[in-house]
Amino acid sequence: MSDYLLMAVGAILVNNILLAQYLGCCPFVGVSKQMDTAVGMTGGVVFVLTMAGLITWTIDAYLLRYFDLVYLRTIVFILVIASLVQFVETFLRKMIPPLYKGLGIFLPLITTNCAIFGVCIINVRKDFNFMETLVFSITSALGFGLALILMAGLRERMATARIPKILEGTAITMITAGFIALAFFGFVGMA
Amino acid sequence: MRDIIKMIVVLGLIAGVAGALLAGVRMGTMEKIEYQELKYVKGPVIMKILKGCTNNPIKDRFKLKYGEEEINFFPAVFDGKLDVVAFETTGGGFGGDIGIVMAVNLEKDTLTGIGITTHKETPGVGTLVKDSESFKNSVKGLSVNQPIKVKNDGGKVDAVTGATVTSRGVCEGATRGSEIYRKLKNDILAKAKDIK
Amino acid sequence: MDIAKEFTKGLWAEIPPFRFVLGLCPTLAVTKTVETGIGMGLMLTFVLVFSNILVSSLRKVIPPRVRIACFIVVIATFVVIVELVSQAYTYGLYQKLGIFIPLIVVNCIVLGRAEAFASKNGVVASIADGLGMGIGFTISLTVLAAIREVFGAGTFYGINVMGPSFEPFTFMVSAPGAFVCLGIILCIMNMFGKAKDM
Repeated sequence: MSDYLLMAVGAILVNNILLAQYLGCCPFVGVSKQMDTAVGMTGGVVFVLTMAGLITWTIDAYLLRYFDLVYLRTIVFILVIASLVQFVETFLRKMIPPLYKGLGIFLPLITTNCAIFGVCIINVRKDFNFMETLVFSITSALGFGLALILMAGLRERMATARIPKILEGTAITMITAGFIALAFFGFVGMA
Repeated sequence: MRDIIKMIVVLGLIAGVAGALLAGVRMGTMEKIEYQELKYVKGPVIMKILKGCTNNPIKDRFKLKYGEEEINFFPAVFDGKLDVVAFETTGGGFGGDIGIVMAVNLEKDTLTGIGITTHKETPGVGTLVKDSESFKNSVKGLSVNQPIKVKNDGGKVDAVTGATVTSRGVCEGATRGSEIYRKLKNDILAKAKDIK
Repeated sequence: MDIAKEFTKGLWAEIPPFRFVLGLCPTLAVTKTVETGIGMGLMLTFVLVFSNILVSSLRKVIPPRVRIACFIVVIATFVVIVELVSQAYTYGLYQKLGIFIPLIVVNCIVLGRAEAFASKNGVVASIADGLGMGIGFTISLTVLAAIREVFGAGTFYGINVMGPSFEPFTFMVSAPGAFVCLGIILCIMNMFGKAKDM
C-alpha cells in the first residue's frame, strides 16, 4: 500500500508529468486561459488517461509481448488512443449528454495530448504491473490537472493585470509555468 | 455504402503497406539493434567480468539452443588462447527474474566471474548484491560440477547481509547456468575453436 | 518562386516553435544538451518530410472522414522507422531521447502540417514545407539547447567552453529553467512581431 502512496505522491508532486517531465505542454498553454475549461480538460484527461493506460497495458502485455511485436508499440498505442477517444465521445453523446456537454469539446484535443501517450509508454517501459499502471495513470492525470488548474487561476488574474507588451501571450505563460515548476521543486526529497 | 467500402479499403491498404514496410525495416535492423543493446546495456557488465581479454567478446558472440531458449555466448581470449566463455542466465529473486552474466573457464570448469545485468529487487537491496565485490569474489573459482549455494544453505558463497533472498537467487541462477554449461560444453568448444 | 517561399517561411516567418507555438513538449524536454536538441530536430524533420510526401500524394484517395486516422498511421509508421534506425545506429542518442522519440507521433507540428498543408497542396510544395518547418524546428531547438547547455553546464556539444573556473548555472538545465528560457526567447521574438497564438 505504501508503495502505491509513494508512487502517487511522486506522480502528482515530485515528478509532475507537466512541470517536471514536460508532457502535455500544448493543451497546458491552450486551455489554461479560464478556470472552467481547465477543470473540464482535467476531467477529460483523468477519464481518458485511466482507460487508455489500462487498455494499452493489457494490449502490450497480452498481445505485443506475446507475439514479439514490441516494435509496433508506437503505432498500436496511438491508434488505440485515437479510437478510444472517438468511442468515448460517441458513447457520452448518446448515453450521458450532461457529461458530454462538459467534456465533449476537449475530447478531440486529447488524442494529440502527449501526456496521454507519454504515460501509456512510461507504464510499459517501466514494466509496471496492472495495479501500478492503474495508480500511475490516475495520479499522473491528477498531477496534470493540478498544474493546469493552478495555471488557470494565475492566468485569470493576469488577464486583468498590466503585462509588458512584449511578454503578452505565450511568453508570460511560459515564464509563469517556470515559477510554478520552481515551487514544485520544493517537493523533491519527498519521494 | 460505397463510401464506407472505400474508407475501409483505403485505411486497410495504408495499414497493410505500413505494416509491411515496418516489418522490412525491423528485419533489416534487428541484428544491429541486438548488438547495440548488448554493447550498451549488458556490455559493461560482460566486459567487467572478462577484463583483460584481447578479442571483442560481444562481436564474437554466438548462439546455442538450450531446450526452447537461445542463449548468447561470449568467448574471451586471454594470452592468445580461448580461455573463458561468458553467457547469460536468470535466477529467481525477490521481485522477479534476475539477469545474470557468468564467466566459466573452459579448461578448469570453474567460475571466473559473475555480474548482474537486470533485476527488479527492492531498490537499494538488489544494488547491494550488484555492487558487492566480496560476494562476487567468493563465487570465483567454484566448480560448475556442483550446485552453487550460499553458506546458509550449506554452500561456499558469502550472502550479502540484508539481501539474502537476492544472493540466493543469484546462486540459483549460477547453478542453472552451470547446468547449461555442462550440457552445452561440447557445442561451445566446437563453435569457439576458430576464435582467436 | 512559390516553392522557395514555402521553404523559407519555416525558417523565420512561421518558425516553430517560436513563432508557430506548437510542439512544446520536445522543445522543453530535449534541449538540455545541444546533441539531443539537434538529434530530435533531425528526427522530426525526417518524419515531417516523409509524412508530408505521403499525405500529399495520397490526398485525392483518402476519404475525408477517415483522413485523421490515415495521417496518424502514416506518421506513426515513419516514427517507428526512426525509432528502429536510431536504435540500430545511434544507440546513445536513442537512450538519451527515451520516450520522446515515440512521442513525435503526437507532436502537433507533424499532424498540423499534414492537415493544414500537405492535404491541400502538391508533393513538391509539401516537401518544401516539411523541409522548411523541420529545419526551422531544428534551428530553434539548437539555439535553445545552446543557451541552456552553455549556461547550465558550461559546455557546447559536450565540449567545455566556459573555462575551468566557471560555476554552472544549473537552474538552466532543470525543468523550471526550461520554461523560463523558452518564455524569454518568445518574448524576444515578440519584439519582431506577434507570434501565432494557439
